[in-house]
Amino acid sequence: MAASMLCRRAAVLCQTLNGISPPKSLLYANSKCGLVFQAATYNPKPLKLNIHRPYIPDKDDEKTPEWQKTAKYDAKLYGRYGSVSGLDPASLWPSPARLDAIIAEENEWHPPLEVMLKNIAEKEAEETAKRLAKEKLIAANMAKMPKMIEDWRREKREAKQKQKEQKAQRSLLLVKARERFGYAVDPRSHKFLEMVAEIEKEEKKQKKLMKRRLKEEKAAAAAPPVASS
Amino acid sequence: MSFPKKPGGKAFEILKTLPRITLANLRPEPGSQKEGKRRGRGQHGGNRSGRGHKGERQRGTRPRLGFEGGQTPFYLVIPKYGYNEGHSRRPQYQPLSLKHLQYLIDLGRIDPTQPIDLTQLVNARGVTVQPLKRDFGVQLVDEGADIFAAKINIEVQRASETAIAAIERNGGVITTSFYDPISLGILIKPVPFFTRGQPIPKRMLPGEDMVPYYADADNRGYLADAAKIQQARLALAQKYGYILPDISKDKLYHMLAMRKDVRQIFFGLSPGWVVNMPEKKILKPTDEKLLKYYNS
Repeated sequence: MAASMLCRRAAVLCQTLNGISPPKSLLYANSKCGLVFQAATYNPKPLKLNIHRPYIPDKDDEKTPEWQKTAKYDAKLYGRYGSVSGLDPASLWPSPARLDAIIAEENEWHPPLEVMLKNIAEKEAEETAKRLAKEKLIAANMAKMPKMIEDWRREKREAKQKQKEQKAQRSLLLVKARERFGYAVDPRSHKFLEMVAEIEKEEKKQKKLMKRRLKEEKAAAAAPPVASS
Repeated sequence: MSFPKKPGGKAFEILKTLPRITLANLRPEPGSQKEGKRRGRGQHGGNRSGRGHKGERQRGTRPRLGFEGGQTPFYLVIPKYGYNEGHSRRPQYQPLSLKHLQYLIDLGRIDPTQPIDLTQLVNARGVTVQPLKRDFGVQLVDEGADIFAAKINIEVQRASETAIAAIERNGGVITTSFYDPISLGILIKPVPFFTRGQPIPKRMLPGEDMVPYYADADNRGYLADAAKIQQARLALAQKYGYILPDISKDKLYHMLAMRKDVRQIFFGLSPGWVVNMPEKKILKPTDEKLLKYYNS
């Protein structure tokens, strides 16, 4: 029932739309009651080209405005009125000189598809190469990292150790100075510095003596075995 | 005894005898037209005439919009940032949801038995494209993908993956193609172009930034390989979980397989032809140079 109502309504619609030929195409819509025809039309705005009373300006007259004597306007006249405009249709296409200019412009500003694809491929390759190089560098540096960390840590430890030793030495010297002079000496005073210098001299002498002794012992140890053998 | 009942009855008889409708016989529905306020008249419209009491309000000397009494206003406090930089150089695509497309097809405004083009969409008043506002065409949007049920051959400028899947699931064909602004202007308003008397121009290729999009089979670009597109169709069917219908066995296979040439703007019209609308003729060039240029 509904389908038939729709059909009738669609048919009436088609008839009332004036100037429209029977629907160019018919839609088939599936509904529960079966196939239903639906007309697919639209009502376009009437095209008022004014063919029966055309205005074609007089080229030789001075009163006609300049813009109505241009080639562009002539083309528009042809498009609007057809052959009634009296224009040679061959002039609608570009002249050989103009065509050359157009072709040159197109070759310059609009490269063909192959060229564009090549450029894109090149750019992509460049980008990937850059990225890979960067990543390689990062990987190499990261591989060096553990060793660098170890080195740094070792240096820090040694520096700390040295500092500790120096501090210990300084405190020993202070204690010695305290014993020697009987009061706490300022490490910066010249007495203290002289004392330090003396201690150093004595230590050097001792070291030299030790070295000589060692040498003599070695010579003594080397000579008797040679003498005995 | 049954008298044939006249439809309308007494009302119809009365209507037949009433005089013709003129401006003198018409009056608006009571209550439909409310009178406007008249300031400066009477107890309620007069006195201060709705301007308030003294001050800038009554005297009409309020400062400009955005002024906050000397405090740095909101629109100057917020620092500039390039969100909208180069906005006028960005291509825009008018969205078209699958829901709206289905609506247009159901109402009969779009014919699914013919290839659907931007011209058809504009004729059906389904989308409004403004080439002068940096519009480069139409994009298909996912909304309504679950209710979409029409087998169509559609050509748009951009499409989301879900939209492509929805169309191919129903046995349709979708292509994304590029129209440069001049071609777009011609495509959406063909008749005014034909009355200009110019030969149909070639469609230009997309710029280098858009070529990858249109050469990709996943986007169903018009520059992509046909074989790759078929593979992409299968892959998409697997991804979204539907069986890809075989369109080669379809009745409308010839229509679904219709696609425009890379340089073509209209189906059935080649670049270089001049359309004579009043006399319904098409003029084609015969010069070799012209033919070579228009067919390249």
